[in-house]
Amino acid sequence: MKTWQCLSCGFIYDEALGRPDEGIAAGTRWEDVPDDWQCPDCGTGKADFEMVEL
Amino acid sequence: MSLSTRIADFDDPRFDPFETFESATQSDSDEDPYVRLAGMREQKSVFAVDYRELLGSPPDETMRDLAKYMVLGSPEIQQVLETPQVFSNTIFERNVGLCFGRSLTVMDAPEHTRYRQLFQKAFMPNVVSKWGETLVDPVVIGLIEGIKHKGRADLVKDFTKYYPFQIIYKQLDLPQADIGTFHKLAVGLTCIVVDVAHGVEASQKLGAYYSLLLEERRNSGGADLVSTLAQAEADGERLPDVVLVSFLRQLINAAGDTTYRATSSLLVGLLTNPDQLEAVRRDRTLIPAAIEEALRWEPPVTVCPRLTLQPVVLDGVEIPAGSEIDAMTGAYNRDPARYENPDHYKLHRKQQRHMGFAYGQHVCIGQHLARVEMTRALNALFDHLPNLRLDPDYPPPKVAGVNMRVPAAVYVRFDA
Repeated sequence: MKTWQCLSCGFIYDEALGRPDEGIAAGTRWEDVPDDWQCPDCGTGKADFEMVEL
Repeated sequence: MSLSTRIADFDDPRFDPFETFESATQSDSDEDPYVRLAGMREQKSVFAVDYRELLGSPPDETMRDLAKYMVLGSPEIQQVLETPQVFSNTIFERNVGLCFGRSLTVMDAPEHTRYRQLFQKAFMPNVVSKWGETLVDPVVIGLIEGIKHKGRADLVKDFTKYYPFQIIYKQLDLPQADIGTFHKLAVGLTCIVVDVAHGVEASQKLGAYYSLLLEERRNSGGADLVSTLAQAEADGERLPDVVLVSFLRQLINAAGDTTYRATSSLLVGLLTNPDQLEAVRRDRTLIPAAIEEALRWEPPVTVCPRLTLQPVVLDGVEIPAGSEIDAMTGAYNRDPARYENPDHYKLHRKQQRHMGFAYGQHVCIGQHLARVEMTRALNALFDHLPNLRLDPDYPPPKVAGVNMRVPAAVYVRFDA
């Protein structure tokens, strides 16, 4: 499981946790997150996320 | 010549920026603004009204000529903040632009996006978490050392009012002798909405000082925030001096004042709910939830103004281009359709979005640092002030203010 970070605001998407309240189940891999998904804090698209080690 | 000899105070020694700024954020009535706003939201979502006038705050001198609309409905607030191509941040050119300069706050995309990503690098969670031990702990523990033998304190006057600012001074690595005047000028900047002349004077003087600091640090290889930002680079691009100085001018207000307010309100939330205070004291893994709930319940900033770039219809209300739109993010956080019993501080809530750090492209750049600071502050208070509780000799603390909120005092007792 990996973590991805929004370059615009620092929001972390953690594959292990997913975003259940947005319909993205825990364990959803980044590549399986819908392409039109946006950062829940700042609205940035997936293209402006990068993988980070926490 | 050392920097200290070049920091200039206000020409008028009688001017008190602290008092002027606080008066601009407060109401002339004792009414709880959230009660008024909740009643209005039941009628509709958008009102042609100046919220400052409505809630008894002095008018913003820099916005006098604009038609004003207050947005109270949660879906409409969200729409405003996620549609920057219609609801623009350039409204801030009128006030923040005059005192801070061309900071991120006055910019729209694509300029905003480019610079935001450069600045954000210095405030990513993995960067700021390292500051917890080196910068935050020495400050919070130092302040608590000064009160822990007394058995009682006002945690605003003795703690929250100082700790975020002292952390910034450490981040900037300011010469000790400059700090008093520096802080006065920084607060003076924020007086712009009610006192344009002093806001501009503070801006010029702090700008000159920061330019010297930049010159001194640019190639120093230092690890302080000024040196780090001066060297920040993305795609071969560096931050222009004017943008950098503007960002630094905003820092005291954006990072200091807000954290002082948020931490003070967090303490009110916990201390006025002793069962929840006890739960967090015993189980520190609850601290993140305690902080998020405080930011929902009493966000330090309750309004996000925007300027309409084109005519728009919001909840059936026709709004012309060039209007001021006040998205009431504090009211969003108190919407009963989103949060059960929204006026109560309640630790165990379903995790969902709040707008305590605003929302959208301009969401608080320092939010991760604020969380580190508040976490360390709360842990240190629990660790060093045993049996922390409200002082029964005083009335319970109350959070007050219109667009910026804080309790005047938080009187406590503890076992010395």
